[in-house]
Amino acid sequence: MSSVPDFIQEIQRKINNIQIKADGTNRYSIELTEPSKIKDLAKLLQNSGFDHVISVSGVDYPEQEKLGVVYHISSYEEGKMNIVLTLKTYVTYKEPVIDSLISIWPSAWTAERETFEDYGIIFKGHDELRLFFLPEDFDGVYPLRKSFKIKTEGIFVDRRG
Amino acid sequence: MIVFPGLIFSLITLLTAIWAERKIAAKIQMRFGPYYASKRIGGYFQLIADAIKFGLAEIIVPSNSIREFFILGPILITAFAFLPMAFIPVSQIPSSGSITSPYYRFFFDKFAGISLYQPIITPYSLLFIIAVASVVPILTVMTAWASNNRFSLISAIREGILTVAYDTLIIIALISMGIEYHTLDIASIVKTGVPGIIANPIAAFVFFVALLMGTARFPFDVAEADTELVTGAFTEYSGLLFVLSMAGPYLLTFVYSLVFATVFLGGWLPLMGIPGAILTVIKALIILFFSVFMRSVYGRYRIDQILRGGWKYFFPAALLALIIGMIGGIFL
Amino acid sequence: MTEEVEKILKGGLEVEIVPVEGELNVGPQHPGSGHMRIFVRLNGDIIEDVDLDVGYVHRSVEKLSENRNYIHLIPLIERPAILDSIHMNMAYIMAVEKILNVDVPPRALYLRSFAAEVNRIASHLYGMGIFGVFMGHSTAFMWGFGDREVWVEILQALTGARVTNSYILPGGVRRDITPVIMEMTEKAIKYTRRKLNDWKGIFVNNPNIKARTQNVGVMTKENAIRWGAVGPNLRASGVAFDVRKAEPYAAYDKLDFEIPVYKEGDAYARTLVRIEEIEQSMKMLEQIMREIPQGNILSDRFFKQIPPIRLKKWWEGQHRIVMPGYYASFRPPKGEAFARVEAGRGELAFYVISDGTAKPYRLRMITPSYRLIKVFRELAKGSRYADLVTIYGSLDYFPPEADR
Repeated sequence: MSSVPDFIQEIQRKINNIQIKADGTNRYSIELTEPSKIKDLAKLLQNSGFDHVISVSGVDYPEQEKLGVVYHISSYEEGKMNIVLTLKTYVTYKEPVIDSLISIWPSAWTAERETFEDYGIIFKGHDELRLFFLPEDFDGVYPLRKSFKIKTEGIFVDRRG
Repeated sequence: MIVFPGLIFSLITLLTAIWAERKIAAKIQMRFGPYYASKRIGGYFQLIADAIKFGLAEIIVPSNSIREFFILGPILITAFAFLPMAFIPVSQIPSSGSITSPYYRFFFDKFAGISLYQPIITPYSLLFIIAVASVVPILTVMTAWASNNRFSLISAIREGILTVAYDTLIIIALISMGIEYHTLDIASIVKTGVPGIIANPIAAFVFFVALLMGTARFPFDVAEADTELVTGAFTEYSGLLFVLSMAGPYLLTFVYSLVFATVFLGGWLPLMGIPGAILTVIKALIILFFSVFMRSVYGRYRIDQILRGGWKYFFPAALLALIIGMIGGIFL
Repeated sequence: MTEEVEKILKGGLEVEIVPVEGELNVGPQHPGSGHMRIFVRLNGDIIEDVDLDVGYVHRSVEKLSENRNYIHLIPLIERPAILDSIHMNMAYIMAVEKILNVDVPPRALYLRSFAAEVNRIASHLYGMGIFGVFMGHSTAFMWGFGDREVWVEILQALTGARVTNSYILPGGVRRDITPVIMEMTEKAIKYTRRKLNDWKGIFVNNPNIKARTQNVGVMTKENAIRWGAVGPNLRASGVAFDVRKAEPYAAYDKLDFEIPVYKEGDAYARTLVRIEEIEQSMKMLEQIMREIPQGNILSDRFFKQIPPIRLKKWWEGQHRIVMPGYYASFRPPKGEAFARVEAGRGELAFYVISDGTAKPYRLRMITPSYRLIKVFRELAKGSRYADLVTIYGSLDYFPPEADR
């Protein structure tokens, strides 16, 4: 485990309620307890050189009735290319709303739209929150939540009588 | 009794052209091409098998198309692509010594002073060929409109825009030959003994490029661009009508190749009679094979690039050919 | 009629330009669409807007992975990009290894790089073939698939399968390289070097292809970063980023290679990057064959689990790893891992969360084509309709990989 570099620790000083820790070589995770501050945090990160989003993932925690939103952020700047930041925050089932980061990182567009259709997390400010990969009859059903069970069909074998 | 073998001959030429296209491309592309239908003759019968398969397939007419024009389209295209052959002299009938010599009097072209293998004798054969062949693109546009498909429609627009560009080139190139040889009769041009490619090489080049453009050969395949427009104007076709729609452009290529062989490559000279006819056809086939060979070397240009090339470079070249024709006309 | 003539005589000839607007459904059944629908809004020949209707080959990898054991997932995970399956497999295994905290022996690392580079060449040749036929260049199409064949044969000899190799296991690889495969690879390198010259003649330096690709689909450096371009497309826009350099995995920290970077950002630059990467990959393969260390190909921790009968039959006889059945249901400790590799089309990332059971709690798969969806949409806007396929082909966008 390596220590957290200065430019990331600086962020901790500017925004309250975040926890930063190292998760292995060049992987740092930032946990944000107040999802409403995600935009401020994103702006700070962008200013310190993190210019693109690799992925936006949702994680379902049915026991706590909350959904995790995980952004993986990295940089194309020399010296920071090997760093991947994991930006985590949580929204509740009752109010699955979070600010969209496409105004800061347009590269989050695809993944935010997919997370919306899979988990029902509404990204405020996203320009096209429609179904993406799923067919139209999936409206209102969130297939990647744990409550969505896969229907197994079993194996059918034709037997000659 | 005169047996007019043109239709069968055209069919064989057509199959040979498609077969050659596939075989040449296969050679370059590290594969065999048609092979299994008849291994000894390089899979030549594959084309016949394909033709039979298409011929027996159901013809589907889309319900929202204009039925009459939809069916008439490919038929008329093939007919009009075929018609110019009536004005092309393939060879000269010797006055005696050939099995065709008894017909010497029937096909005597009094303007050129020789008898010809040419169904309709006229002193304006070049003009007729241009006139009849230029109907084909109009029919293509009609077909596309009738089939009521958006891809066909875009193809029709491309075809329409392209037609203006290449028809101009074809007409100017042929007119410059007409001026140079003081005649619009192909037989008279051949009879002079000077091949057009020597008398006016620029006209020959311009004509060849226009030939590629006019018959949707690569790299000017925009009207039928399959990855963009499916099959262009013929997207909705199936069965025999699809065969006809495929055959039309190939026939037109062959017609233009024959014109090229006679006007620019000296036609049947120095032979005459049936050997002369074979020589003309061989010359035309070389042009035809070369034009289909372009497929394996080039991709396709964009419509704007073709138009820019057509108007900016080939059109002035065509005008230059006209001037050369005027100057050359003094000596010929 | 006369009024019109008078009007023209008075006011001069005015040409009324009628905007021709329309919508076009390119796909899902279209020679140039692949497995998706491209919803194009045209104004004349200019594309005003593009919407990608993806999902026609959605395999639901992320949901299914929550219902399968870690090892059972390998064949599923490489399915989205069967022609780039080594990379898919490797990134997933790297994420699992991080959770398991396994060390991989150096010979296995070299073999991973070997398989990955062979796969990269095959993937690039495939991409260029598709790109060629999109522009009507059928020779490039046939050559791409034909030249790819020699590399696929090597993968077959090494892994036992042409595509979907399932070659990489947690802790190592399944099979060892043999002198026969090395000889095949040397021959293939020689052949491909010769063929690349022919490629340059007929495709890369062809005036027709140049006219179609130069200044088409231009992506500036800023836009490439903003839209999230990856891989060769990013490098063609002037960003010198390659996961193999930035964060070396497998044996890449010991290999010498350069990453080709172009500033133009057009379709032509993207093609050039691919051509040069093939050459770099072949250089790496030569180096791997020279320097590959001796040793085991599976981590001792798992090697010890193989029963002696199997060891005798498979390992001593044919140098293959055949694991016992209970290996498939291992339970990694709690934790999460994020691993990325440079796949043929770009950066490929896996985010795996383990809750201590035999199945992942959450698996996130981010493929390069997935990240190109946005790029494709933005690049196609404002281009000509004929350039839609050029942009598509030059990005090497692969719908099954994007849908997952």
